[in-house]
Parts: sequence; C-alpha cells; structure tokens
Amino acid sequence: MAETTAPAAAAPTAPVLPRRRELLFGTAFGTAGVVMALVTLVGTYIATRDAAGAAWLAENEIPLTQPNMQLVTLGMSAVTMQWAVWSIGRDDRYYTYLALGVTLLLGVAFVNQTTFLYDFAEVTIAQTEGPLFYAVTAGHLAMVVAGIVFIVLMAFRALGGQFSSRQPDGIAAAALFWYACIGLYALIWFAVYVQK
Amino acid sequence: MALTETRPDTGHGDDTVVVDRPAPTQIERLVATGDHLSNGRLQIGFSLVFLAVSALGLGLAALDRVTDDGLLGGIAEPLWASSLVGLVLMGVVPLLLGLAIYVVPLQLGSPAIAFPRAASLSMWSWLVGAVLFVTSVVLDGGVGGSDDDGARIGNLSMGLMMVALSLGAVCVATTVMSHRPLGMKLARVPFFSWSMLVAAPIWILTFASAVAHIFVGQITQADAEALSANFDAGVSWMLRSPSIYMLAIPVLGIAADVVVHLTGRRLAAYGALQGAIAAFGVLSFGAWAQSSPAGQTIIWVVFAVAAGLPLLAMLGGLGDALRRGRVPAAAALGAAVLAHLLVLGAVLAAALQALDTAGSGDLFGLGTDALEAGLFMFVVSGAALGGIAGVLHWGERIFGAPAKEALSGVAGAALLLGGGLMATVLLVESIAQAARNGLVAGVLYGAVAVGAALFLVGVLGALVAVLGAARTSHEGSPAEGGDVIGSTLEWSGRGVALPGGPSTELAAVGSPYPLLDLRDGGVPDEETK
Repeated sequence: MAETTAPAAAAPTAPVLPRRRELLFGTAFGTAGVVMALVTLVGTYIATRDAAGAAWLAENEIPLTQPNMQLVTLGMSAVTMQWAVWSIGRDDRYYTYLALGVTLLLGVAFVNQTTFLYDFAEVTIAQTEGPLFYAVTAGHLAMVVAGIVFIVLMAFRALGGQFSSRQPDGIAAAALFWYACIGLYALIWFAVYVQK
Repeated sequence: MALTETRPDTGHGDDTVVVDRPAPTQIERLVATGDHLSNGRLQIGFSLVFLAVSALGLGLAALDRVTDDGLLGGIAEPLWASSLVGLVLMGVVPLLLGLAIYVVPLQLGSPAIAFPRAASLSMWSWLVGAVLFVTSVVLDGGVGGSDDDGARIGNLSMGLMMVALSLGAVCVATTVMSHRPLGMKLARVPFFSWSMLVAAPIWILTFASAVAHIFVGQITQADAEALSANFDAGVSWMLRSPSIYMLAIPVLGIAADVVVHLTGRRLAAYGALQGAIAAFGVLSFGAWAQSSPAGQTIIWVVFAVAAGLPLLAMLGGLGDALRRGRVPAAAALGAAVLAHLLVLGAVLAAALQALDTAGSGDLFGLGTDALEAGLFMFVVSGAALGGIAGVLHWGERIFGAPAKEALSGVAGAALLLGGGLMATVLLVESIAQAARNGLVAGVLYGAVAVGAALFLVGVLGALVAVLGAARTSHEGSPAEGGDVIGSTLEWSGRGVALPGGPSTELAAVGSPYPLLDLRDGGVPDEETK
C-alpha cells in the first residue's frame, strides 16, 4: 500500500458557491463611476453657462426637435432592452436576439442623430462653449457607443449559449449600463438642450 | 461550433506541428499574471516606495519655507502641493487597495479576485501614472508648476492614477459581493472586506467626479496656470473634509480584524460595528461639497461633526474586546488602534472649523478651509499608519514570514510621531495664523520638516521590515512566533493547526469567524441569529 502523509497543517477550505452575478456587480460599480463623471460634467456645464449668461451658445442654432427625437429613440430602446432581459429570463432565445437586435438598431440611430445634430449646430471646439459642450455630449455619445459594444458582446455570448434563465447576468449587466445611458441622456436633454 | 465550446482534442499525430514556445521569463510572468497575490504584493511594495517619495517631497518643501524660499526657490510650492497629492494617490490609497487585492479574496475563501486581468491592469496603470506624476513634478509641472507640458503630464497622470485605482476598487468590491462562500452573508463578512466594500464605491464616485474635472482641464489645452486653477476649483475638494475621510474607511476594518485575531475572541455587536464603518463611509462622501461655500452649510457641519460618532463607536467596540483579557503586545495592534486617534484628531479639527464657519462664521477669526492642511495630515497619517498596520498584521501571509516586531514597532512609532507632529503643527500654524510672523512660521515649518522626516523613517522602516520578512521566507528560516491561529479564512493556509486534523472542512460559514467556529466545535447560539 502506498504510504500517505498528511500535510503538516490543516487547510480548511470554504465551500465554494458558483460566482454570483460577478459581471452584474462589476458593471454596477463601473457604471456608478461613469455616471458620476458625466453628472459632474453636466454640473460644470451648468455652472459655466450660468456664469457666461446670455452669450452662451448665442452664435449657434440648436433646435429642440432633434434632441427630442433622440430622447424618444433611447426611451424606446429601454423597452426593447427590458424585453431582452425578460425573454432570456424565460429561455425565449428567439425574442432575446430580436430584442437585442432592435436595441442595437435604436442605439445606432441615436449615434446617427447625434452626429447630425453636431453638423447642424456647428459648435466648434475653438469657441468658449466648445470644450464643455463636447465634453458633456460627446462623453455621453462615447458611453452609448460603449453600451452598443457591450450589447454586441453579450449578444454573441448569448448566441454561444452562455446565458439562460439560470444565468442571465450578461444581458442584465448590459441592460443596467444601457439604462444608465438613457437616464443620463434625459439629464443632458434637459440641462443642455431644453434649458440651453 | 459555437465559439464557447471546448475545442475537441485532435491529438498529436505525425503530421501535427508542435510549436516549441519558450517558457515565459520571470518578468514576463510577473507582468502578465492575474494572480491577486502577486499583484497585491507588488502594489503594496510600490506604494510604500511612493509614500516615502511623497514624504521626502513634503519635508523638502517644508525646509524651503524655513529658509524663506532659499532652498528650492520657485518649485517649493508646487512640490508641497504635489507631495500632498502624492501621499493620497501614490501612497495611501494604493497601499490600502494593494492590501485589499491580496487579503480580501483570502478572507472570503476565494481562489481569485473578481476580474483578475482588470485588477492587474489597475496595478500597472497606476504604476505608470505614478511614475509619470513624479516625472511631471521634476519637470516643474505636477500640481501648480509653471511648465505647461509638465503641468499637462501631471494633470493626465493624476487622472490615470484615479481611473486605475477606481478599476481596482471595482474588482475588490465585486469580489466581496460575488465571491463569498456558502453561508457567508454580508453580515458575516470579515471587517476588512466589509470596510473595503464600503470604501470602494466612495472611492469610485469621488475619483470619477475628480477625473471629470481633470478631463475638462485636458481637453481645453489649458496652460500651467489654468491647470493649477482647474485643480483648485475641481480637484482640491477631494483633499478636504469630508472627502478626505474616505482614506480612513479601511483602517477601521483593519483595526477590528487585528483585534479579533490577537484576542481570539468574538467582538460583541458585530453588526453595530459594521454599521459604524458604513456610517463613516457615508459621511466621507464629499463630492457634493466641491465648492468653497459648501463648507459653510449646515450639511457640511453635520458631516464634519457626525463622522466622529462612528469612530468613537469603533474605538469603544475595540476597547471592550481588548479589556476582556490579556492581549499579546504587537506593533500592528498598536498602530491600528492609534491610527484611529489620528483620524479622530482630524474630526476634532473639522468640528473646530465647522464651529467657526457655520452660519455667519468668524467665531475664531479663521477663514474658510483654514484648518484643512492639519486635518488632511491627520487623516493621511492615520490612514498610512493603519495601512502599514495591516501590512504588518498580514505580513506572514503576504511575505511568507512575520515582520520583525522590534523594527515594526519603531516604524509604527515613527509614523505616529511624524504624522501627528506634522498635523498638529499645521493646525497650530493655521489657528495662530503664523504665516504673518516670519520667525514663528519658520520654526513651525521646521517642526513640519522634522515630522516629515520621522514619517519618512517610519515608512522606510516598514519597507525594510516587510522586505526582511520576504527574505526570511525566501531563505527558509524558521518563522518568528510559531503557528498562527486565526479566526477568519485568510489564516486557513500554512501554519494553522486545527483540532479536526488535515481533513478539516467547513460545511458552511456560520459566523464571521469560521476558523474560530471550527476550533470551538460550532457556532455559538447568538451568532446563528
């Protein structure tokens, strides 16, 4: 019989549970930071605009129609994103892919609308308002693009069979980030475009 | 085939080309590893070095004030401001985060940290940022320097460090939330892990807000003067109360874990102490108080004064545990508990400031933020002392052997004296408005320089102590102090002797002290509620 030797010291092991919502929690903490940064930028924008008075963006024409449509677009994507979360929670893979696809389409439409607005408004980085205007709006645009990439990645992982009703974390994490994008746009819509 | 499926084993037939890849070198393994033990150890080591560099800068700037700007000339003021930033972003926060990256997964019985590659990226990005920041200070940039390029590098490197530290904080907080073993509810999380769960979101939110201002400074292509103004308006609030208290949150957890470990007893009112740490965390959130007028509001007064209550609660809880029996003298214990007193000094300074500035102000004739320099130094010294207490306490786990007690004690005492001296003198200087009197100001800044030197000696002493421990471990010398008996899961490795023998396993975590439960043969009734 083979001789067995016990280790010199005991090493009690903790019973391991499957990783619980790691991606969801990580996304939540990261999103909190991104939201805080953008909220700070919006606050700085408002303070600087108040100090500048009536001269702020006086040379630029920024219509409200375009931002309104952008808000509606993102608002609709909130419904489709929640549809994806609801579908994966019921193992309805067909509708999960469909909902993610529509959300992506609306996200790309938002990006398109934003670039159209930039062309129309003709705010230059050289003018006083330029850096802060783009810090806020392009910062949010970058967040939306990051959200689109996140959704695409999670959609591919869903296609690979990694998510189901027992493990919907990736879709839920992407949804959390997406909702933060939408909430922030509502803030920007009011603070930057409505109040001007 | 879906991308996520396991690649089929095709075997190695004669036609298979086997690529003989060279084994990665030691450095390649070090840089590419996602091992939290390796990354945490590196971050602790580098942060101690940068803490020493920052203390040196502070001492030199103070000496310059003694010599009436005769030592360093125009770079003294930027060096002072940059050293203060360095103490926070290059020293204290990364030290505590490095300790958390190492210890938190172990406390939870987890084999890895959440997002190990991100944690590794966090450490290396922070290191690059810290090196860039030191470079920018040398170029007369940093914070408040006059060289445009140097100031831009300083601004950028501050942002990089904050983003990197936030990323590390995300990994640690996620680990606590999602890597807990069976039965370990949040109410049973060890104190240090709990304190990091409280600290991480506060750090993330605070740094994110400061990074936004840094970003604005960067995209406006501002010159050195404008970047200095941008720092004063958008980032310096992070170094004032109540935000600066966020550095001390993990210290509360470290002290509680040290006391539990050394006394081997269960702390009464575990939940209440967790609540005290959480309350201190909430009261250290200061992004709302970015503008100077915020320091004259009743909310600021409430934050400044109320932060003392959870601190006193923690001290009461720890004192209760310590008075119930003999406790072995240990440098880590003394440092961890005395760190609380330094932080308490900051709260008292804040209360004084609050009394002066609340409402119409002018009670003592101080200006807004007059006491902030002393308050800052109290918190930073307390956090550094607490962090080093943690490093010494978990030194055997981190470096393979315990640090020498005598050297640790000297290091801790030097840190305490140095930090306390600097903070007290800066407080006195503000209250007495000594800047108006050149001779008195010279004497006081001489004392600050002495304090910085003592602080430097303390940090270097701690560095030598941990390096000595690592060397002892490497040489295989017998460890000082014999077997380690711990209460929480990070002690469940080498050197733990348990009555159950080598096959001992936990069915589930039933209390905050799983190893103590194993030794006691079960969970006490009051813990199961």
